[in-house]
Amino acid sequence: MTTHRRFALGLGVIAVPLFLALLGPLFTGEPGPRATSFTLGGDHWLGTDFVGRDVWQQVLLGGRTVVVTALAATALAYLVAVPVALVSALTRLRWLEELLMRPLDVLLAVPSLLLILLVASVLSPGAAGLALLVALVNVPDAARIVRAAAGEAAARPAVEALRMQGESWWRIAVGYVGRSTMRTLAADAGIRLTGVLYLVSTAAFLGVGVAPDAADWAVMVDRNRTGLFVQPWAVVVPALLIVALTMGTNLLFDAALEKKGRR
Amino acid sequence: MSRTTDAAVAEIRDLRVEIDGRAIVDGVDVRVLPGKVTALVGASGSGKTTTGLALLGEYPPGARVTGEIRRTGDGPVGYDGPVGYVPQHPAAVLNPARRVSALLDDIARPHVRHLPRAERRTAARALVLRALSDAQLPDAEALLRRYPHQLSGGQQQRVVLAQALLLGARVIVADEPTTGQDALTKSRVVEQLAAVAARGIAIVLLSHDLDVVRALADEVLVMRAGRVVESGPVERLWSAPRHEWTRRLLDEQRAVQRGGVEAEAQSGQPVLEVRDLIAVHNRRTTVLRAPHLALHPGECLAVVGRSGSGKTTLARCLAGLHRDHEGEILLDGAPLPRSLRHRSRAQLAAVQYVFQDARAAFDEHRPVLHQVARTAMRLRGADERAATDEASATLNRLGLPADLAHRRPGELSGGELQRAALARALLARPRVLICDEVTSGLDTVTRRGILDVLAGLVGDGEDLSLVLITHDLDTARLAHRIAVLDAGELVEQGPAQRILTAPRHPFTISLMETTERLEAGART
Repeated sequence: MTTHRRFALGLGVIAVPLFLALLGPLFTGEPGPRATSFTLGGDHWLGTDFVGRDVWQQVLLGGRTVVVTALAATALAYLVAVPVALVSALTRLRWLEELLMRPLDVLLAVPSLLLILLVASVLSPGAAGLALLVALVNVPDAARIVRAAAGEAAARPAVEALRMQGESWWRIAVGYVGRSTMRTLAADAGIRLTGVLYLVSTAAFLGVGVAPDAADWAVMVDRNRTGLFVQPWAVVVPALLIVALTMGTNLLFDAALEKKGRR
Repeated sequence: MSRTTDAAVAEIRDLRVEIDGRAIVDGVDVRVLPGKVTALVGASGSGKTTTGLALLGEYPPGARVTGEIRRTGDGPVGYDGPVGYVPQHPAAVLNPARRVSALLDDIARPHVRHLPRAERRTAARALVLRALSDAQLPDAEALLRRYPHQLSGGQQQRVVLAQALLLGARVIVADEPTTGQDALTKSRVVEQLAAVAARGIAIVLLSHDLDVVRALADEVLVMRAGRVVESGPVERLWSAPRHEWTRRLLDEQRAVQRGGVEAEAQSGQPVLEVRDLIAVHNRRTTVLRAPHLALHPGECLAVVGRSGSGKTTLARCLAGLHRDHEGEILLDGAPLPRSLRHRSRAQLAAVQYVFQDARAAFDEHRPVLHQVARTAMRLRGADERAATDEASATLNRLGLPADLAHRRPGELSGGELQRAALARALLARPRVLICDEVTSGLDTVTRRGILDVLAGLVGDGEDLSLVLITHDLDTARLAHRIAVLDAGELVEQGPAQRILTAPRHPFTISLMETTERLEAGART
């Protein structure tokens, strides 16, 4: 019963930012004339931003890039990290494990933002390129965590029993070890999505992937900081939406795990 | 009431513990006398532990409790006469981050608070040392510097016991203190508990090991499904059991002792042969040497030894689970690849392995029936339907009803899972079945059930050969031949009758003697 409530709560929390992000652009009208910066009230019920644009319009427009980039980057990171981790957890060839994991350690040592800025200064990527970059810097962390969880599962007698039954590598790796790491993976995914959201936002603030005055929740938070005490909504609303997105994701993952654990 | 208050240090009256409307303990009366050992005996799930914990004032979460529990000096609950608890897995109650000295000093310190500050330290240390020697822990100085994980299971148990003694416990509840221990360790545990009882402390022994109960207990309460079916002095109970269930428990125990498969093993071509096997761990440490070992068709070979003697390593070498070894393992005269990754399906099917911990050896996400059936599908190419039919037939034959087979492993008991694990291996139609301690940690009734199944497998003429890995000489009696391992060396092997009656190697003799002492203690 409480699981259902958790599900409902998670869905409710995540629905608002997702709805705004994905469908928001459909509801925006013509951009009106620019008004004075950081005003409250008048025609603009959430006020105006640092260059005098309507905040509500910006909120409606600014979700798509952040959400899509962050989700794509997280998914991409796991797409690479999970197979690498499973192979290195299940192999008995020491050199293969080293070959897979050691280069990731090198990548881990480079500060992620520095790497993104370096590559961006050379290649000037768009939104897709930014997603790829953010995914790349997240692969080492994700791989290490999945590797640790999978290593524990791979050492269980159940894996030896499966081998004894002549099960294929695929079935052992995905059907058992992969499945056993789901809890850890889900917990990690919740945190990682938050981290990725802010990495995308920071990159956008520094002008990578997104224009510095683009309609983008993360950019809005950063750019409108200066007027926080004059016109708080321009910062608070997009920030709350990002928080709701990450919190809702975590709540949903928790509810899903709890339901599974109970069965 | 005055009838009982004079002597008992603790007493339970008409205890009833209910969870979700189901009574797990019902109408239980226990009287605990100083210096005496009161044993609660019964199969797993009979309510022993719940009753034992009730003495501490502990109940399972969500339980509804009625009845009366009294301890002497009960003002605020149990303050004057604390009850000590030695759990089955003592590591769980020792803080792993602190040394043994710190764990014990914490308890000793309040006892020395009345002394001047300068003397407290030495006085506390003296108390700790006395508790350790009372708990039969020699070499205390070296031990105090260690962390709990650096101690053996038996030592951890005694440290917990020392904690209870330091607390000034008048009653000690020992939960399955000998489960999974070899004969030597077992007799040491018996001595140690007897010494504690001799100091006037009451002991409540929760056990399914009837040898130990017979050797230690003064009073025995036989429990079944939450009720005490019979109680009385241990001699009376053993010589003239009144209740049918007690008789069954005792019969099964005796059957294990007498047991053994009568059929004589054939000679000729061995189905499995080991030559010059040397197994190593971490590429350096040699853990096992077995110059020659043969297994004939239809034969049951027991490999006996204490924990750490290399018997599991031997089994894992045979099964292809331990690849770090030299020498040859021959199946029908043809060498088997070392790692099971290189074994063909036929070779995999021919040598099957049953794990000690059945719960850990099953995938917790899938129904048992499905997992059992996979063996036939993978190793014999059966289609799913035929495999499932065969799996449920085999499970049924081994005593696991169909409705249980459709559940996930988490909903089955240890004994049921062990049957399922046997069925899973049998579906490969193996030539050799290796059973690694499959009965340790099970109560006598369940153990007897599994041993009957094993004896039936060897007896039914399908030429199945069995390798029983065990520390338990009772289980080894089932075998035709016994091989004895000590510290990685194969010290003796021969027909079971000969090894059990006329052992030659000193280690075998000492192992036999301790078993006999336990049993003799149980009979006199």
